Amino acid sequence: MKIIIKGVSDLSKFEISALNAKTILLEWRIEPSDTLLEHIIKFKSLVEKDFKVERCVTGYKSLLIEITNKIKSLNYWEEHLKKLQKKIKNIIIKGNHWKIPVCYDFKYAPDLLNLSKEINLDTSAVIKLHLSARYRVNFLGFLPGFLYLSGLDSRLYLQRKKKPLLKVPKGAVAIGGMQTGIYPNISPGGWHLIGNTPVNLFNPKKNPPCFAKPGDWISFEQIDPHTYAKIESEQQNGSHQLNKYD
Amino acid sequence: MIEILQSGIHTSIQDIGRHHFKNFGVPVSGALDQSAYLIANSLLNNSPKAAVLECCIKGPKLKFHDNFYICLTGAEMNPRLNDKILKNYKPYPVNNGDELAFGVAKSGCRTYLGISGGIKTEKVLGSRSQYQNITSSDKISKNTLIPIGKSNFKPAVGTRVKEKKINYANKKIEVYEGPEFKYLEKEQQKLIEKKIFRISSFNNRMAYQLKEKFSHSLPQIWTSPVIPGTVQCTPDGSMIILMRDSQITGGYPRLLQLTESSIQLISQKTTNSKIRFKILPKII
Repeated sequence: MKIIIKGVSDLSKFEISALNAKTILLEWRIEPSDTLLEHIIKFKSLVEKDFKVERCVTGYKSLLIEITNKIKSLNYWEEHLKKLQKKIKNIIIKGNHWKIPVCYDFKYAPDLLNLSKEINLDTSAVIKLHLSARYRVNFLGFLPGFLYLSGLDSRLYLQRKKKPLLKVPKGAVAIGGMQTGIYPNISPGGWHLIGNTPVNLFNPKKNPPCFAKPGDWISFEQIDPHTYAKIESEQQNGSHQLNKYD
Repeated sequence: MIEILQSGIHTSIQDIGRHHFKNFGVPVSGALDQSAYLIANSLLNNSPKAAVLECCIKGPKLKFHDNFYICLTGAEMNPRLNDKILKNYKPYPVNNGDELAFGVAKSGCRTYLGISGGIKTEKVLGSRSQYQNITSSDKISKNTLIPIGKSNFKPAVGTRVKEKKINYANKKIEVYEGPEFKYLEKEQQKLIEKKIFRISSFNNRMAYQLKEKFSHSLPQIWTSPVIPGTVQCTPDGSMIILMRDSQITGGYPRLLQLTESSIQLISQKTTNSKIRFKILPKII
């Protein structure tokens, strides 16, 4: 008897299109999930080994492929990529699990009170829920070192601000819609700021410039302002070691 | 060394771009008009990746502290070496103590100043292109010195490329259909080619926003990759053409995708320039 696993067959179905003469876009029509994320990560590493491929960029349910020469036939690429996709091994991507220290004191969390009122929870409940989840790094984008994280507790969902802030501080930990994230540098932003981390998410002088990669996990760990200052100075002199779970 | 006496409106060091760190959310950057940039280097026998100065609308005033060859390409910006008027697309020798000044762009918007040996500022993540939070600054500033590499370049007599006459006033912007184009109503699909759009004052190395809105009822998308030349459309109908300093992922529907030569053409346009999209056949 043949057993058809529905999830698997959906995973192998992507739509292919050419974005421009040298860029191919693959998109999956299923909802984002850990399974799809791991599929795309594994697919990406196979595709990047192809000598005709320059590099790939991923999204929640997409894979962008930049190729060396102009696309001669998109059909050729579709067949080629389908064959490659069959070689994806059924292994689990474990990923590193990083502990990110966050200070939720009001000084570091200008929107915490307002967010807690909007979603009818007290601030300690907001902090507890934010701390209790384990978040998955889906990909990086928006700003250098900005992690797109999934896994936010639905009780913490809150639409972005109508008017974005022009200068969100570096390290701000925020909630926007169904997502949570960390601003790696000062930038404009419309998310609600509920804390701040002294950890540097992006350092252009290092290679790789960001410790986290797609498939990794993030948990937040509450710290007080004193510890914040200590880690901040350790970050500046380069002695800070980020903690990982085994 | 080159000394910056006046910085101009937005003069920055640019090269072929920072391509290898996209997966960390790092923009590509690099010269917006890659064609003009590459010609400036090739006329000086520089590496195609050599860094140049990208001048925007009004160029800087510079003083040379050594003997070099220079070559200008792109927009016509009334360049004067001491008091001598220079032509674009031709290498000129400059001597220690010479000063180069620019006026305001007459046709086009961005001029490239190539220097024999290339600009040798520190490479960050594989590129010298200036970008906020990656390099120490996003543009050059007054009273700074820029290091230049060594070169044995000597031009063959009469070197000047037959200037590819690019008409920067050409309104036609060639595009492919973007990934979400197919979800537009048929009428809207036709309208996007008929409509004349003007470039708004929100135009820079990151993006060019258009003045005219394009109303649609497409939902936002799950954040997905974007590249230079992607035309996003926000829920209120603002059309945004992403340029080389843009983010590498986005959540707005991607209606169109500019060709590489259209990105070059649009980077020579500025506020109030009119454009009209021409959709090319799909690549199959």
